Amino acid sequence: MTELAQELARADAMLDMKRYDQACGLLARLVAAQPESARAWCLLARAHLGAARHQQAVDAANRAVSLDPSDEWPHRLASNALLHTDNYPEALRAGMEARRLAPGHWQAHICVAQAALGARRLDIATAAAGRARALAPNEPDVHFLSGKVSLAAGNLDAARAHQERALALDPAHSGAMNELGRIRLRRHDTRGAVRHFIRAARVSPAESVYSRNIDVVIVRTVSRMIYIFTLAALLLIWIPVVAHLGRFPFAIGLTALGVLAVTSFAWMVFRLPPEARLLVRRTLRGRRTAAALAVAVGGVAVAFVSVALVPADELPQILPVAVIATIGARLGAFAILRGAISKR
Amino acid sequence: MTDSGHIGQEVPDNVSRGQGIACAAVGLPIYLEMCARMAPAGSPAPYCLTLSLPLILTRPDGRMEPDLTVLASLRKAVEAMPDDVPLRVHLAALLLRGGQRDEAIRHVGAVLQRDPGNTEALALLQQPSAPDTGAGVPGPAMPQETGRPPAAPDGQHTPGAPGGAQPPGRNGPNAPGRPGAPEFDWSQAESELRDVLPPMFVGGDESEAKAPAEAVDSFDAERSTLKLADVAGMTQVKERLEAAFLAPMRNPELRKLYGKNLRGGLLLYGPPGCGKTFIARAVAGELGARFMAVSFADIIDMFVGQSERNIHELFEVARRNAPCVLFLDEVDAIGQKRSQLRNTPMRSAVNQLLLELDDVDGGNDGVFLLAATNHPWDVDSALRRPGRFDRTLLVLPPDGTAREAVFRYHLRERPVAGVNLARLAKLTDGYSGADIAHICETASERALMDSIHRGEARMIGQPDLEAASAEVKPSLGAWFETARNVALFANEGGAYDDLASYLKKRRLI
Repeated sequence: MTELAQELARADAMLDMKRYDQACGLLARLVAAQPESARAWCLLARAHLGAARHQQAVDAANRAVSLDPSDEWPHRLASNALLHTDNYPEALRAGMEARRLAPGHWQAHICVAQAALGARRLDIATAAAGRARALAPNEPDVHFLSGKVSLAAGNLDAARAHQERALALDPAHSGAMNELGRIRLRRHDTRGAVRHFIRAARVSPAESVYSRNIDVVIVRTVSRMIYIFTLAALLLIWIPVVAHLGRFPFAIGLTALGVLAVTSFAWMVFRLPPEARLLVRRTLRGRRTAAALAVAVGGVAVAFVSVALVPADELPQILPVAVIATIGARLGAFAILRGAISKR
Repeated sequence: MTDSGHIGQEVPDNVSRGQGIACAAVGLPIYLEMCARMAPAGSPAPYCLTLSLPLILTRPDGRMEPDLTVLASLRKAVEAMPDDVPLRVHLAALLLRGGQRDEAIRHVGAVLQRDPGNTEALALLQQPSAPDTGAGVPGPAMPQETGRPPAAPDGQHTPGAPGGAQPPGRNGPNAPGRPGAPEFDWSQAESELRDVLPPMFVGGDESEAKAPAEAVDSFDAERSTLKLADVAGMTQVKERLEAAFLAPMRNPELRKLYGKNLRGGLLLYGPPGCGKTFIARAVAGELGARFMAVSFADIIDMFVGQSERNIHELFEVARRNAPCVLFLDEVDAIGQKRSQLRNTPMRSAVNQLLLELDDVDGGNDGVFLLAATNHPWDVDSALRRPGRFDRTLLVLPPDGTAREAVFRYHLRERPVAGVNLARLAKLTDGYSGADIAHICETASERALMDSIHRGEARMIGQPDLEAASAEVKPSLGAWFETARNVALFANEGGAYDDLASYLKKRRLI
């Protein structure tokens, strides 16, 4: 084994150990000493990818491509790196070049499917995923990506079948668990979705996207609760005008609305797994959620008080104010929560 | 001259407040000498000095100098009463006025030896060049508790102060780059600073600034001289270490009585840069055992081509050196989850490590296994089974006492003065030891750049360190984000209960 080969094997082992920065240091020395080694550039691209330095990964992969254009690996690496820089057309082009060079290589097809998915070319993605499945039916990643393509195409049953197959092949495939959660969300099954996200987070706690998904689901649930609450309030404030009821039934209605909103939310939280309940508490304690709740409840309270306190003959004048206050509260709360989601 | 007979002097723009801070912290004669030498010609003293001195005479040019006969009398009086501090201070002040700096320095030094907190002597040390200070007289010393410069009379930032609004380097008449400015002798300044040893920390024992004995970090088995007492603060960690590891080791009879098994090792985990390796060395020192530290970089070299044989050899060396602490640093790399490993040689290396830990022949007697990792969740679960690394210890970011010690350690060889470690420790809650090292580095950079801009060297002061601590953000956020996920979702069997309770305490979950 030559010295370069030994050093490359060492760098490869470092990458396997996820020591991306140390590997980068070693590989930077290697490519400085042996700039014509395409393999060293490829490993450097991998190291940069692992350390989330995507543009450097693109540069290193391109360098490897220029040194050895007949090898499919540099093209695949370039495609992967370009995908992370949101340059989907170029990623697709690089992936297709890798597939042209190694048509029997399932990774090349996966690469094409991934890039096509990013570029919203679902026909190409579906075909590439199908070819990858044919080439490597026992590879969990093939089914994982096929499931993602199916989900993007709106075929929820097929997506679920693919992800379940991926999990059958690799029970610790956290990506497949996460995708199953996303499928549940598309079916409006919040509880089921959270369960899948929690499973994924349990398997790969270092992967932040799974816990972020749980947070997003919780915030969305709070948002939905606020929506229903304000909608019901909007209907309730018409009662005194239309039915000419006294203040007592009106107050009862308000109380019932409040109790109903809180109870339904508590019921939803109660049905969640304990880990998610902890996250709900944390979310509710968060400034943005608290602010959104305050805006919603405050707006509705203003509307109710204004309707309840004015004499009956002034109700037609005050009602528009109450309606605007309620709608404003809902929109305000929604905007605050959307900010919370985008921040996560 | 004021009505009260005191001579007032505005704080000049071109004088570093840090210099004043340095002096305020019980300076030594050499510091005054440095100040005197380094002050640019025509530079006034940094602060308003107030002292009634009837013995000052006025020169034709308006400057004042003491009567020589008076000085001679005072010298004799001091010789007769060497312990009379006020007399010595008086003489030093007059000598300083008269430009006899060397002698003044000696007297101030003698005063500070007898009375380290003498404010008048400290104030005298703030005079970099007495003959050019006008008729300045000693005034109030800098507040030592904070080491901060006094606020400017108008309530604004003091010009020239490190945290001041004015950019450094604009005020100094001798600042480099100014046309006609005389060349500043940096080599002389450096040689002077090298010998400057003013007290560094407010209210601290100077001896504490000495670094603890360095332990070895080579692959060879060496004897560690560190003890747990060298680890400042972190009482909880020490207590748990004592209960889980050290007490059974030290008390073989009790161990036998209670049937306590010594098999297995201790896994230290926690955020990066918080002293896991340091603690491991201290444990080796406590046990009086040899210490073998192996990091993943050493292992990787061995792995290429002959992994199993080399791991076996590593354990053989440890067994030959028993009693010995074998410390596997970054064990998540060496013993990574096999399901995550593509590389077949690495998988067989993990298998070999498990085999050696299992110690089927009983050869591991006297080999104490310690490991450290930032990511225990990436360690192969087989490594954490009973008899292997079955005990874990969470090493959290340093507490207040530990942070003070870390500051002290990283500032020990830098020209600092008037540093309030307690305040810095309070400001850096949640910072790792590595972050604190970075703060010290940043503060040094600030002081260095400021010195270059001004054309005069100055000490690193409290404002530099506070500004640096505001600039350097704690680096542990990403780790705690992952730790939160682990505590929430992967705390199977309560393996991370201590982490979860810490996170709850800090309201991170």
